[in-house]
Amino acid sequence: MGIKMVFSSVLFLFRFLPVFLICYYVAPGRMKNFILLLGSLFFYAWGEPVYVLLMLFSTVTDYFYGRMIEKYRDTGKAKIFLALSVLTNLSVLCFFKYADFLIQTVNGLFGTSVPLLNLPLPIGISFYTFQTMSYTIDVYRGEARVQKSLLDFGVFVTMFPQLIAGPIVKYRDVEERLESRPIDICTISNGMKRFCVGLAKKVLIANNVGELWAEISAMNFGEISALTAWIGVFAFAFQIYFDFSGYSDMAIGLGMMLGFCFPENFNYPYISASVTEFWRRWHISLGSWFREYVYIPLGGNRKGLPRQLINIFIVWMLTGIWHGAGWNFLLWGLWFAVFLSLEKLFLGKVLSGLPKWAGILYSSFVVLVGWVLFALETPGQIWSYLKAMTGAGGMLDSRGLYLGRQYLVLFLLAAVGSTPLLANAVRRLEHSPSGFGIALYRLGEKVIPVVLLVLAVAGIVDASYNPFLYFRF
Amino acid sequence: MGFFGKEKVNAAVTVLLLFAVILVFTIADIAGEDRLYSETENRLLASKPELSAENLIRGSFARDYENYVTDQFVSRDKWISIKTYVDLILQKQEMGGVYLGKDGYLLEQHSPEDYTRETIDKRLQLLKKLVDDWEADVMLVPTADNILTDKMPANAPCFSQEVFLEEVRDLVGSEHYVDAFSMLKEHSEEEIYYRTDHHWTSLGAYYGYRAWADFAGEKPYPYNTDTMVPASSDFLGTLHSKVNIAWKKDSIYYFGETDIMPVTVTYDMQKTTNSLYEEDYLDTKNQYGFFLDDNHALVEINTGNQTGKTLFVIKDSYANCFVPLVLPHYDTVYMLDLRYYNGRLYELLQQYADDADVLVLYNCIHFLENFVYS
Repeated sequence: MGIKMVFSSVLFLFRFLPVFLICYYVAPGRMKNFILLLGSLFFYAWGEPVYVLLMLFSTVTDYFYGRMIEKYRDTGKAKIFLALSVLTNLSVLCFFKYADFLIQTVNGLFGTSVPLLNLPLPIGISFYTFQTMSYTIDVYRGEARVQKSLLDFGVFVTMFPQLIAGPIVKYRDVEERLESRPIDICTISNGMKRFCVGLAKKVLIANNVGELWAEISAMNFGEISALTAWIGVFAFAFQIYFDFSGYSDMAIGLGMMLGFCFPENFNYPYISASVTEFWRRWHISLGSWFREYVYIPLGGNRKGLPRQLINIFIVWMLTGIWHGAGWNFLLWGLWFAVFLSLEKLFLGKVLSGLPKWAGILYSSFVVLVGWVLFALETPGQIWSYLKAMTGAGGMLDSRGLYLGRQYLVLFLLAAVGSTPLLANAVRRLEHSPSGFGIALYRLGEKVIPVVLLVLAVAGIVDASYNPFLYFRF
Repeated sequence: MGFFGKEKVNAAVTVLLLFAVILVFTIADIAGEDRLYSETENRLLASKPELSAENLIRGSFARDYENYVTDQFVSRDKWISIKTYVDLILQKQEMGGVYLGKDGYLLEQHSPEDYTRETIDKRLQLLKKLVDDWEADVMLVPTADNILTDKMPANAPCFSQEVFLEEVRDLVGSEHYVDAFSMLKEHSEEEIYYRTDHHWTSLGAYYGYRAWADFAGEKPYPYNTDTMVPASSDFLGTLHSKVNIAWKKDSIYYFGETDIMPVTVTYDMQKTTNSLYEEDYLDTKNQYGFFLDDNHALVEINTGNQTGKTLFVIKDSYANCFVPLVLPHYDTVYMLDLRYYNGRLYELLQQYADDADVLVLYNCIHFLENFVYS
């Protein structure tokens, strides 16, 4: 992967963003799209000066396929152009993301030694290919109008807020706003606040617990205690949630600042009382993409239970492999397919008869074990880590006690942040009947984002802090 | 209508406030001058990369520019302090590779997994060869985390240098091994390490000297630990730089006895002085440089004693406050710092150390990170 310009960097916050926003707000009406396209291309080309051409290729071909589908609507040719579009996108995705994985698998199975391509993965390719496919499919289905302006279509594909890490925006979600969008100060304000919250989630929580997981995942799993192993898996669970949802918050916030309304991507997944519920709350835009463009076309639940279970397995294997070209991701998808199927068969009924905490306990367990499959690459590592979680290396050790002590406060904060408690409290304050409550809210909504921004910038600047002090001594 | 108006004004205030914060830092940052070097962090900061088509395509320009902007960000040191305060609020006891110990001690963190079997074996093989070739003596000094164990946070992971040093002793034989560990452990209640720096104090070096004298069968020079001379009372060392928050300052002392001995010190065969101490450093961040002018590849000290003996020390900065103490036992002392020397050690030893005592003096960590013999 190249060096992408991430939102949580000095370069983005104090160079790209202010310059871009000023140009964007100053530009009149239709010029805004031009500025947005230009800014997005710069943003992408910063990290991918070569692969930006691939993205432009994707943009132009799908624009063309869209036009052709429209032109030959209700004739057989429309279907051909749709097939071409899907084929092009999937080929690009497979070539860059899965070719080496397939070669390795073939080499492993047949003892061949086909050389690997060793191509770096183009940034965001999994996201933008899915977005452009949603466009041609929706145009074919008549659920979206064809886009005649290459500029507007380019803006849809390359838009920098969600380009790198989602949410996966379907074309029809932003169709109207591509042409004209009201930009009002309240939405900008809410977008900025949302951005600051996302930045803080990413820098203050995800990066911190990420260091903890990096430390634990580098240990010898045969020697760590159950305590350390569980601390590690919680650290990873918090890291991936706060990293990913923080990034989505920033994307949605930036979208609001530009006048777009992106779909939500996370809805407190860790309070789910079943695995089915977890997948309705986790990476919502990906789940709904697969649901709409794979699961339902396959028949969904309309063709009987056996067929539905097969569909679940297909969709979750694809979901797994979408996250990365590796067997562990496939395993991760299958792991969820098993529990989703069990819930369809009988577990769902059992769970609904149990108290909610029991459901949360069960789904947290499934999800946490799932993260072990997700985070570790080889079966050997996964197996020894799972064994460590059961206490194969002892229940407690001083390292675990130490790390627990170091990260207790952060874990508590992360746990509270994984629930709607804070958001509910803020909402209650906002609609508080007392003048004092409202005044407090008004003050808080200004001070807290600034404080979060400052603390996050401190974290960003410090992360580059070079601990190797000795090379000049 | 009035309500909506108020809503808009309120939103506008939020937007302007946040935008102003970003803009102020952006402008201050762009207007600020680039720094070559950070005194607090003691390292070169990234400088502006050159733009070329090749850099651009390979993506190295993007990476270098990112490092440059982050390294040169306005009030960098203050941001680092803020981050440390956040960690303090989160009740962390370690930050930036430093433990916040009891009684104001900052202790450098050395995790067991950072020192693998291969690293240790590689360095020990080289050491064994040096000892065999030159009858060298070995004095590896434990770092503060291994000696001031009661100052460490509870259960803090720590690479055990006691175990490592037992291995060193077994390898080189007790006839070549100076046991600084036991001597320092015995005096662990005293001020033998700085609170804000990774070095040992002059008192710590004195106990190292006593261990050396015991080992060498030399009668120790009667240094008086009660009359040490203060050189500085506002020393904030390398460990403090890593956390960079308000902290109690250290004092630097040295033994006055060492300052009245007549000496000629030659640094890198160029600069010559008659003092072991360089007061200029006391006005800089790097106050430990006071001892023997910070670090040089090769230092030669002539004492005018009539012992007929020469010492050749292969060393890190721990030796800088130790060497003044052993001077009464030698006519000439050479100090070689391998990090600044590009030639072959073997040839240098042939030239200077043919009938000298050879001493390897490092702290255990620097030894594992830097020692080479070729």
